[in-house]
This record gives sequence, structure tokens and C-alpha cells, in this order.
Amino acid sequence: MSKLAISLTVNGVQRQALVEPNQTLTSLLRDELNLTGTKHGCGVGDCGCCTVILDGETVNSCLVLAVQAQGREVMTIEGLAQGIRLHPLQQAFVDHGAIQCGFCTPGMILSAKALLDRTPQPTRAEITKGLSGNLCRCTGYEKIVEAVQDAAGKMERG
Amino acid sequence: MLLPPFEYYRPSNLEQALALLREMGDQAHPLAGGTDLLVNLKLKKLAPKALLDLGGLEELKGSRADGGQVSLGALNSASRLASGGPHVPRLLAMGAGALGSPQVRNRATLGGNLVTARPAADLCLPLLALGARAVLTGPQGSREVSLDGYFQGPGYTVKEPGEILTRVLLEAPKPGQGGGYQKLGLRQALEIALVNVAAHLELEPDGKTIAMARVALGAVAPVPMLAPSAAQVLQGAKADEKSFTAAAQAAAADAKPIDDHRGSAAYRRDMARTLTLRALRQALAQAQGGKEVGA
Repeated sequence: MSKLAISLTVNGVQRQALVEPNQTLTSLLRDELNLTGTKHGCGVGDCGCCTVILDGETVNSCLVLAVQAQGREVMTIEGLAQGIRLHPLQQAFVDHGAIQCGFCTPGMILSAKALLDRTPQPTRAEITKGLSGNLCRCTGYEKIVEAVQDAAGKMERG
Repeated sequence: MLLPPFEYYRPSNLEQALALLREMGDQAHPLAGGTDLLVNLKLKKLAPKALLDLGGLEELKGSRADGGQVSLGALNSASRLASGGPHVPRLLAMGAGALGSPQVRNRATLGGNLVTARPAADLCLPLLALGARAVLTGPQGSREVSLDGYFQGPGYTVKEPGEILTRVLLEAPKPGQGGGYQKLGLRQALEIALVNVAAHLELEPDGKTIAMARVALGAVAPVPMLAPSAAQVLQGAKADEKSFTAAAQAAAADAKPIDDHRGSAAYRRDMARTLTLRALRQALAQAQGGKEVGA
């Protein structure tokens, strides 16, 4: 098994990496690029902790090979804030106490972002469906849904 | 969870992919969305020497309609199918929307769902009910296989190891047709159905008589299956509650469920009846151009 050279855009920055064929996108982000905001959870696509946005669509990065990100654009949780200014979704999660242990939060926020990019004013049902691939085991979903509703309102008002 | 070591190939066209498959035989495994394959590799259920990423094959992409027939590329994602699109039948979109989670739908593919061939697969049931055919391409060229007969067992199909499922063919949708999809699970996402049912109805021009119907049942047999007795009851019958109730009973009789840790055979058979009835009502509402009903 020899390493493969890939080039991809991560959070708007062009990156190069040498990856093993069996390396996942989660491992590339965490172990090679030190972007540890992306969490490694179940590893089989059930929990959504490792969610990133690949060419505009959320994916479980544990089920994407690093080499499959060749030439593509990845957004991780680190790409959301502008300097020290949090993204409205991040701020809303803090304001609503929608973040407790924090392990599911990066994935939750990225799923919420992908939802709001397509549906800026989602209904409650659209929010729960949009977040249905992300499991939370401590905060509970109520505050998370409230945070997304709040962020959607604030983003609309600008 | 770690992936076992393997070599990675990304052929840039179908010819290259088929040549690589022929060269490596069963040492190579095609990779589409990876939502099943990569899980199975991590769980050590499979250990191919090489993965053949089909992502670069233009021949497996897009969708087109010609001469009353729709051709969907095997690499269409479940999300793309769920969001409809000019050539995607509504029944298929309904099944695609019920698959996995948003993240899984963004990766899982039409071809992958058919090749993985699980008894409760959310795309397989609508496709069976729609009378779809799979195009299998191998070194000797392409052959078309009706999905009725394509599934051989859980994870087994008539596809030969040297073949790639390239496209899915369907009749172009016509007025007077409608579909219904019902999925029963213990939760609303990331769920493998306890029982699922897809129903397809075609009405006569009078809008009341059933010209043709197909009912597909999931998780009640080793393979996604058609319920032939239900289709027989419905053909030529009036599209009403009486026919639907009789067809639902026939579908339950066609089902071959087993007891397992997820549900008993008796429960599954009863649910096959209930869900068939609901799916037929839903299909009728769609065929008559009314608003869709939930049950």
C-alpha cells in the first residue's frame, strides 16, 4: 500500500496531503490537518459526530475515503467563525444552552448550516428532519431545535 | 473504527473499470457511495484486496428520458432522487426520502441500494413496484434484467462478479398513475424498516377502474418481493376500499415473514396488510391528482 497525493480545499484554503488508501476523511482532517473539531464517534455512519460539508452536502466523514476528497471542497466546524466572531448558529447554540458536553455539536451545527443554506426559514419538522442524522446523548434535542430556529431568525434579519 | 488495508483504483471510464474487474476478479470490490461497503469493511465482513471507485464513471451518472423510457444512472444519490427531478418517479422519490439520514442520503446511491440488495431496502421496493429493470454491463456487453427475479437472497442478486450495475430503466410516468410508500420502523430516521410497502396503481381513463397495480413488500422475505396475489386482486377492479382491503389481505398472504429479534412473523404479516392498505390509499390519491394522504 503506497500513499496517495491529494489536493483539496478545506475551509477555503488549498491543502495538500499524502494519504493511505484506507484512510478516512475524518482521519485526514483530525490527524493530518489537525482540525480536531470534527469528532470521531461511531465510525459507521449512525451518530453524525463526524459530519462535514463536502461540496455543499453533509456527509459522515467516517464513511468517505480521504482520497475521495481529491479536488473537492470540505467545510468543517473550524470554517464557520470569522476570526473571533462566532457564526450565528454557533452563537445561538451557546445562548440557548444547546451545547453541553459538546461532542455532537460540530456535526449538529454543520447539519443545521446545510439545512439553512437550502431552507433559510425551516419549520420545526424540517429542522428535526434536517438534524435526524445527528445523535445527541446529553443536551436533548429541544434546546438544539430552539437554537436553530433562533439562528434562522437572526440570519434572516441580518 | 479502522478500515482494513486495500488498494484504491479510480477508473475514469466504464471500459477501464470492467478491465480492472476482469483482471482482479473477486479481489476487487466496486465502491459507489460507501455507506454499506465501508461499514462492512470496518466490521470485517468483507476484505477485498482493492476498491474500485466508480465515482469517475460518466456512464453511471445523470438521468434522461427517451422514447417513453427513463434511464437513471446508478450513481444518482438518494438525496437527488428524494428531491424529485424531471425524470424521477414520485414513488421512487418517496422511498429515497425515507432512507437513512440526510448524511447517508447524500452518499448512498441508486445502484448501491440495488446491489446491496437488503430485504427492506428503501429504493428496491419502489423500483420493484414501478416494474424497473437494471442494466448490468460486463465484458460481453450490457443486459437488461427485470427486478422481478433480480434479487436472489439477502445481499445476493443475479449480477455476475465481472458486471457493474450501470443504469436503471423505467417506463416514463403517465397521467392516471400513482404511488404509495409506507415504512414502519421504531424510529423516524436511520432505520431499517420492520415492514415497508410500495404500491403502484394505474387507473383506466375513467379514473375509477384499476388497469394495473403492483405491490412490493419489504422485510417479510429474504428479498424485496412483489405480492402477485395482490396485483391480481386489483387488476380490473374498482379502485375503492373494498378492493384495497382484499388486496391488502392477499399481500399479507403472499408475505413470507420470519420471527426475529426485531419483530414476530405474525406481527409482520399483520403490518404488511395494514401498510398495503395505506399505500394503496396513498397511491389512489396521487393517481387521481389529489393531495397526498399520510395513511
